[in-house]
Amino acid sequence: MALKALDIYKLLPKKNCKECGDPTCLTFAMKLAQGKVEPDLCPYLDEEAKNILGASTRPPIQKVTVGMGTLSFTVGEEFVFYRHEKTFYHQPGIMYSVSDTESDDRIREVVSQVRGCRLTRIGIDLVLNGLAVYAESRSPERFAAAITVVTQDNPDLPLVLMASDPAVMEAGLAICGNYLPLIRGVNDQNCEAFCTLAKKYGAPLVVSGNDPEQLAANASRCTGLGITQLMLDLSGTEGEFIRASTLVRQAALARSVPGLGYPVFLDVRSSGFSGLITGITKFASVIVTRPLTRTEMQAALVMRQNIYTDPQKPIQMTPGLYRVGSPGRDDPVFLTVNFSLTYFTLQGYLESTRRSCWLLIVDTEGMSVLTAVAAGKLSESVVKDAIEKSGLASEVNHKTIIIPGYASPLSGRIEEYTGWKVIVGPRDAAEIASFIEEELK
Amino acid sequence: MPIVTFLPGFRKVEVSSSDSLMTAAQKAGLSINAVCGGVGKCGKCVMFHKSGRIRFDADRFKEFFTQEERDAGAILSCESYPEDDCQIMVPERTLIQNQQILMNVVGQAVEFNPSIRKYYVQVKPPTLEMPASDLYRLLDAIFHAGGPNSKQVYVPLEILRRIPSILRDSGWRVTATIARLPAGYRMIEIEKGDTSTRLYGVAVDLGTTTIVAFLRDLTTGQVIGVGSSYNKQISCGEDILSRVNYSKRKGLSRLQDLAVESINNAITMAANNAGVDRDDICEVVVAGNTIMTHMLLAIDPSYMIEEPYVPVVRRSLTASAGRIGLSIKPEGGIFLFPAVSDFIGGDIVADIVASGMAESPEISLMIDIGTNFEVVLGNNEWMFACAGAAGPALEGGEVLFGMRANPGAIEKVSIDSATLDLKYQTINGKKPVGICGSGLIDVLAELLRACVIDRTGRINTTLGHPRIREGEYFPEFVLAWKDETGIGKDIVVTENDIKNLIMSKASTLAACIILMNQAGITREDIKTLYFAGGFGNYINKDNAITVGLIPEVPVDRIINLGNGAAEGANIALINRKKRKFLDEIASLMGYIELNAEPTFMDEYTRGTFLPHTDLTLFPMVEKSLELCRLRVEGK
Amino acid sequence: MTISYSPGWTASIREVVIGATAAEGGTRRISYRIGGESDLPCIGSGRKPLIAFEICDDPALWPDVIRSACTKLVDNPPAWAAYVDTTLQADLIRLNLTSTRRRNFDAYDAVSKTVIAVLQATSLPLIIEGSADADIDSEVFQRCGEAGEKEKLVLGTAEAARYRSVAAAAIAYGHSVIAQSPIDVNLAKQLNILLREAGVPDDRILIDPYTGALGYGFEYTYSTMERIRFAALKGDGDLAMPMICAPSDTLTIKEVRAAVHSHETAVSWEVATAVAAALAGATILVVRHPGSLAPLRTAIDSLWKEEVA
Repeated sequence: MALKALDIYKLLPKKNCKECGDPTCLTFAMKLAQGKVEPDLCPYLDEEAKNILGASTRPPIQKVTVGMGTLSFTVGEEFVFYRHEKTFYHQPGIMYSVSDTESDDRIREVVSQVRGCRLTRIGIDLVLNGLAVYAESRSPERFAAAITVVTQDNPDLPLVLMASDPAVMEAGLAICGNYLPLIRGVNDQNCEAFCTLAKKYGAPLVVSGNDPEQLAANASRCTGLGITQLMLDLSGTEGEFIRASTLVRQAALARSVPGLGYPVFLDVRSSGFSGLITGITKFASVIVTRPLTRTEMQAALVMRQNIYTDPQKPIQMTPGLYRVGSPGRDDPVFLTVNFSLTYFTLQGYLESTRRSCWLLIVDTEGMSVLTAVAAGKLSESVVKDAIEKSGLASEVNHKTIIIPGYASPLSGRIEEYTGWKVIVGPRDAAEIASFIEEELK
Repeated sequence: MPIVTFLPGFRKVEVSSSDSLMTAAQKAGLSINAVCGGVGKCGKCVMFHKSGRIRFDADRFKEFFTQEERDAGAILSCESYPEDDCQIMVPERTLIQNQQILMNVVGQAVEFNPSIRKYYVQVKPPTLEMPASDLYRLLDAIFHAGGPNSKQVYVPLEILRRIPSILRDSGWRVTATIARLPAGYRMIEIEKGDTSTRLYGVAVDLGTTTIVAFLRDLTTGQVIGVGSSYNKQISCGEDILSRVNYSKRKGLSRLQDLAVESINNAITMAANNAGVDRDDICEVVVAGNTIMTHMLLAIDPSYMIEEPYVPVVRRSLTASAGRIGLSIKPEGGIFLFPAVSDFIGGDIVADIVASGMAESPEISLMIDIGTNFEVVLGNNEWMFACAGAAGPALEGGEVLFGMRANPGAIEKVSIDSATLDLKYQTINGKKPVGICGSGLIDVLAELLRACVIDRTGRINTTLGHPRIREGEYFPEFVLAWKDETGIGKDIVVTENDIKNLIMSKASTLAACIILMNQAGITREDIKTLYFAGGFGNYINKDNAITVGLIPEVPVDRIINLGNGAAEGANIALINRKKRKFLDEIASLMGYIELNAEPTFMDEYTRGTFLPHTDLTLFPMVEKSLELCRLRVEGK
Repeated sequence: MTISYSPGWTASIREVVIGATAAEGGTRRISYRIGGESDLPCIGSGRKPLIAFEICDDPALWPDVIRSACTKLVDNPPAWAAYVDTTLQADLIRLNLTSTRRRNFDAYDAVSKTVIAVLQATSLPLIIEGSADADIDSEVFQRCGEAGEKEKLVLGTAEAARYRSVAAAAIAYGHSVIAQSPIDVNLAKQLNILLREAGVPDDRILIDPYTGALGYGFEYTYSTMERIRFAALKGDGDLAMPMICAPSDTLTIKEVRAAVHSHETAVSWEVATAVAAALAGATILVVRHPGSLAPLRTAIDSLWKEEVA
């Protein structure tokens, strides 16, 4: 549970010395409570205070990086159980699996599926993160050869190497170890050999265990051998995974079991698409899946984007004047905020009316209409600004805008301030069709 | 230049033909309603042209008037200009009504220690043996009369020039007035003979709408006169933001002039009441919001209304009255309260001082509600504050029949939950013409108790009672039938009015709860809840809690601070030691920017329910509403 | 060392009964007792979510992909219901009276007839979505409620702006109510309080958090559901109702409408949304594409342990 500003204040020296950069200890405490500053900025903290405050800012889950270069990705460093508590920071890497027994052509095909997958939504590219090669052949030579097929053209594609024989793993690492692939295959017998390999290449290591206790013990064993880039293997059926990952996440956040403060690895080759969705929503950080159909891949990437959106920073639309259909100079102008959902919803309903119109998106910093009105982010001056910047007056022959129903308190002020006539539209975009029918005949 | 005569009072004023009739009316001393700031938008400044030549584009503004009004010569005074001598009729509605201006003050025992003192001294005449300078001997005499050490006293040139003649003309008996400044002392006056009993100061509450001045005898500390005035800046815009926008368009000087003029009017009124010569007033202490304070000093306030919302200055300020244009002793001083932020201004700091909450270990919550609200929570160790827009509903805006607390406004309402019979009380007992904030809170609470509205404020139209009906756009509840009213039509409250009220109260309550969360305290920890400003004086506390305008605390813990800003200014006037404390309060307060507060929207949504989505925060309200429901269902 | 899971829950989700068998005074072959969970989804011994399949009496406004997937059936609600029951083997059927959305609707008798016909065509418990217009709500819900008397239907949808008609029909004929609020935990709580004060017992309310489509705000729904479940388990009785979630809304979005492989896309997006909704706490998952049922069933069976009686 996060500390309240006043609780933190009580731990501070109350000198108001300003050395932290804040005018008073109280304002410093308020920023600490919001996680906006680090406690070290205060030079006068006693040990007890440092412990209490330090613990609340150090991530309870270790940061781990897979791969090197522009395609590498980082996971871990999570602070919360529910995304609404703050946010989930690092979205899971999704890796397509391929067996080293597959033909070189098939391997190349999977690589090109991974690299060729690109979905752009709201200005963000959604991508698959890499490839997982598993040593089904159990042959060091074949494993190395299969990896070579991948790395020939794509040396920087992040990889998961899956083999339980240290000799096989070593052969693979000899090819790509310098690119810091994720190593999976540790068991009770090969632990030391694998740790040696991980240490040699500085690559992250997946540890496993039959139950959380054993998992924690194995992880501690690896840290004892000097490995800190660890991930916890929670692969199993969807049900097994979710029960284990819930437990591990809770223990990690409580910092109660040192061996569990690592990101989670999940292999869903047997559970498939629904296993992947389960992993995305419930705390997996690297997920290995069989190549998906294109539609499944898209749904999974969008789900990942949704779940890892910062709930406190709504996705914003670029403010400006948008066309719905092909509006002419006499068509109506609807005004709304730049909260992406509001925009999508309104646009959807407007499209379904088949009436061409203009959509003027004003900058409310991504707040919804109700929020923006309450917080003063939607105001007559914001509207005026938007009308001027968008050049709306030169696009239409009239001077009338339709504002959202929840913005009705502003209608008078907008009229006075902008000189545009204001019509108050419905509160709910779903009523836009009947509004157009009745009000804009 | 044309002479304009305003009817019905026959006030005459000579103006240039480029002055609008609104400006002319203001020069004639009339307070004209101009919500839009005099730019021909609001249609509130209606006058009737009776005779003489004027310029007015009747076609352009015809939409503001009925045919009947046009025939009677209706004009918008802000858009009309006198060509020649003319007579103009000003209807009552165009004048800003006498609102209830708060002039009472709670009064707390304050140590008497003003910053200005007079010393009546007999100065030793110089001799050849003792050829010390005039100034030296004067200051020496003052020191021996209990005044400050001579080295600490600064004497301005204007005073210095007068010393030799006054000393000699008075036979070496003079009265010196010395002001204590943050660093040292300043002599602000020297007079012949003994004037030591004539020492006065004024505490001013500089409000957006009204200004109140308290005249105090600084030899005894007693209040001897009170004066008030409307803030004449209203003609440049009703709310503070439109005034800032006005200043952007037309510059700051008119706003400053109007503020000074309004303060002078209030001071003059107080001085006349007490029979005091304004020239004997040596100090004015002003508590006002941050923007008003800036405007009074002609410091550009426009950066405060843009991100990142910074004031030019926050600390307390002193200046000489002459430089500001205050009509008191020209060398007299003016002290302005410090601010915490753009929205937590000197008025709130004054409220805090008046309440004494910054000196008590017990936790207090202070709420000042108007179009904006300010909330402060804390005690002598810590304090959090935040501010936000409540929307105008609580002041009668955005409500179909809403109005300010003017005569004829319904200010109290009770409803019989069985019969829906309704009793109301209006201000000054006039026939009702509308309803003001306190009346609206009563209506909200009473309709909830009578189960006419549900907790989201929706009217249950299935009840089948003549007072409940479908209005033109929304369901509505009739408060007064047209034959009872002063406007010839039914006065109703609509579902939309109720929504707007709920939105207003939700932001205020959310602010309170966010401060409480920030401090990690519960409503039980609040030992005193202060209402500052006008609102608290008229509001029914029980109803304010029932609708969830404020957190549920025992009613006997709620104290109306009344005009806390004036009270705080008075305290600072009579006890200079408190002034340093003001800066401490202002600088140590933790200000929470609600716009940047991630939980605000959640708390706001929780507040859009009567009284609140979490009913456990209002246990007593819940008990009583439960009883109400049983009673209504049982009937 | 044993690592144990200690969530600190103090309460459980309220149970709601849907459908009535002959023994319970109705004509359904099965009735469901949903809710009762005392932990997060899939954790502990909670019940598996139910899958409801959606049909309607006027498919004009429904997505093309559904009209083509259910061709021949879309104009025959009883036949459609029978197909869902016997072939698709859904747990529940949700009948949308979309005909009531037409302008100037006044065919109230047809509403009664449709409900009765569907009740005869299937013996699964029924969810009925009535009108969405305050002017006709009273009559429509009265007809629905009456036609399904004693069958313990679920009637939808109550919203804060129009809940009295649904509530009245549910109270009069012994049905449950779906309470839908716009993706907000506080508004969900408010509506439950309003319904209670209108006389609907707490154990006859289902929360519909409103399902944002995947890619179009589903994350808000997801978090709202998590918050509702969290609040309920922490003892907030006003939020301790089972949740119903309609991933079928995902089918109307651009990506699905414009897809080349529209059926495949519909199923992927619907299943992905449904699985995530189940993990966030949905007790009833409403799908619309016939292809979604089997993969969703498999996923739920894998996610939830064998049901504990």
